[in-house]
Amino acid sequence: MAATRAAGFTRPRAELLVLPGLLMIVALFLYPLVSLVGISVYEKGDWTLRHYQRLIDVPAYVRVLQRTLIMGAATAFLCLLLGYPLAYRIATTSGRARAALIAGILVPFWTSLLVRTYGWMVMLNPQGILNKALISTGLLDSPLILINNTTGVLIGMTQIMLPYMVLPIVAVMVRLDPALMRAARILGAGPVRAFLRIYLPLTLPGIMAGVLLVFTISLGFFVIPALLGGTRDILLAQLVEVNINSTLNWGLAAALSTLLVVTTLLLYAIAHRYFRVSALWGDIR
Amino acid sequence: MTKIDRSKASGATRRTVLKSAAMGGVLAAMGPFAHGARAQASKRVVFATWGGSWEKAMREAWFDPFTKKTGIEVVTVGGNSYAKVRAMVEAGKTEWDVVEVNPDFQWIGKKDNLVEPLDFKIINASDIMKMPGLVTDVSVPQVIWSKVMFYNTKAFSADNHPRTWAEVWDVKKYPGKRTFGQRTSSAALEAAVLADGVPMDKLFPLDVDRALKSLAKIRDHILWYDTNAQGEQYMTDGQAVLGLVPDGRALSAKKNGAPIDIEYNQSLMSWASMVIPRGAPNREGAMQLLAYCVSPEGQYNMGMAYTYGPIVQKAYEKIPKDRAAILSGGPQQQGKYVMTDEQWWGENKDQVTEKFNQWRLG
Repeated sequence: MAATRAAGFTRPRAELLVLPGLLMIVALFLYPLVSLVGISVYEKGDWTLRHYQRLIDVPAYVRVLQRTLIMGAATAFLCLLLGYPLAYRIATTSGRARAALIAGILVPFWTSLLVRTYGWMVMLNPQGILNKALISTGLLDSPLILINNTTGVLIGMTQIMLPYMVLPIVAVMVRLDPALMRAARILGAGPVRAFLRIYLPLTLPGIMAGVLLVFTISLGFFVIPALLGGTRDILLAQLVEVNINSTLNWGLAAALSTLLVVTTLLLYAIAHRYFRVSALWGDIR
Repeated sequence: MTKIDRSKASGATRRTVLKSAAMGGVLAAMGPFAHGARAQASKRVVFATWGGSWEKAMREAWFDPFTKKTGIEVVTVGGNSYAKVRAMVEAGKTEWDVVEVNPDFQWIGKKDNLVEPLDFKIINASDIMKMPGLVTDVSVPQVIWSKVMFYNTKAFSADNHPRTWAEVWDVKKYPGKRTFGQRTSSAALEAAVLADGVPMDKLFPLDVDRALKSLAKIRDHILWYDTNAQGEQYMTDGQAVLGLVPDGRALSAKKNGAPIDIEYNQSLMSWASMVIPRGAPNREGAMQLLAYCVSPEGQYNMGMAYTYGPIVQKAYEKIPKDRAAILSGGPQQQGKYVMTDEQWWGENKDQVTEKFNQWRLG
């Protein structure tokens, strides 16, 4: 009796549970997003496309967008390269070792971005800890230039984004049945073939989720390129920031942001078309 | 049947409860605040500041003596960005009475109708130095300050260091990295034009293309800093040996024992400004505060509290000589600086920043 009542109580209105989340998305995400697009095309009582015209006329904007996309992709690639083996290690150990590895990833994740970035400046500069160590041990004659250039930006971004790659991959790996790999080996596959034919395809959803997360979040960086980058290292978010805070050109800032959102959505659509990314979010047909 | 009724009834009740609770919460949160703010408005002025040691100096030199005189309390808040001024004014909810800004905002803020005209019956601007743009109908200056050449004393000595920007551009004679701010307001472009041989009095209107061409000659020798602290750090640890920073930064680093010294020749003078955002709750009090800040007394206090220079010549009458010699625009800098045309910057910052970015991408 009690069970029926409880079920009857919730079931007809289950869809209402979506409502708070939906309202929040509309109020805090969709509405601001639409007003943002509004700011880019509506100014002082008039409709205008002049901000978009400017994005086309001044080549710097498209080049910065290109650069932003390339840096995002490069960061995702480096995170995958470093993150996949790490994720494997985490997924295949247990107990304290796993806890320690996860803590090793999460503690820097919870540290302020600015603090970590300053940390890199201390570590990587030509007279920094790393170069001093390498030179004093005789491994190097002259310091490596790892900062105030694109390398510096990539190092900083990769470290900060690594958890976004590792955690989704770990989540997929721990759900894999280890018997599958054993079966592959028993059936005669070597370790490489077993990995390529069984393990890698089965962990692909985790990889895709990680790559997408890292890539999209990377598109919004502006502190790291400003502090660790060189002359050429301008990313789109830096231009948005200058236009909002410094020149008060909000129309252009909004147009730049819209450009970034639209490009990201386009890339997502392409990824969806060719790799069926939506399967990751549970839409498995 | 009963089941459905029950759920409906309880749903409705719950919704009603939630609704009224939320409303109550909002009212409770807003009510006293709104009333309190209004009641106190005439007795306090809200000052939006850059913060840090500068804010402490203002408290000592301006706010405390002002409160003693008038009974008006000065409350400071941080995060004085242009964006916030604009957001507040456009939402019709201005909470700040005075905002300290860079001078370009005198024109940007006026163009976008974000600032109140000042009442020069309350503010006596007649003692303020006569320089173009220093006083406008919406702004008064706080202090003058400059961006100066600075160098690492381990690399160069007081006798043998670059004294002109042309010499700074000579990377063979003076090897090592140069550090400049990556925002266009850092005066790197001005230095570049001076290095290229433009005389100090012909600096403005700035020839941006010439500046970028000149900057390109030392492109690989530049370390860009994002914050002044970063520039100071590059110089302190020797990553850079030459550069351009605000004088206050270089002086405080030197005072703290960093191997840094200043060359005042070809320095770029500017000032900091104060405006009253449109719709400020205590306009009247704000005018009075501005009046005190630019008074000879207020300016003398500030000259003693911080190394930025007075904008009122009379203030120097009481400042001791050794103190005056480290202030921006003090006797040590006479004839060695050029005034930045801030109006030009206010009107051109947009396009210059765009060109500069394009140059950076290379």
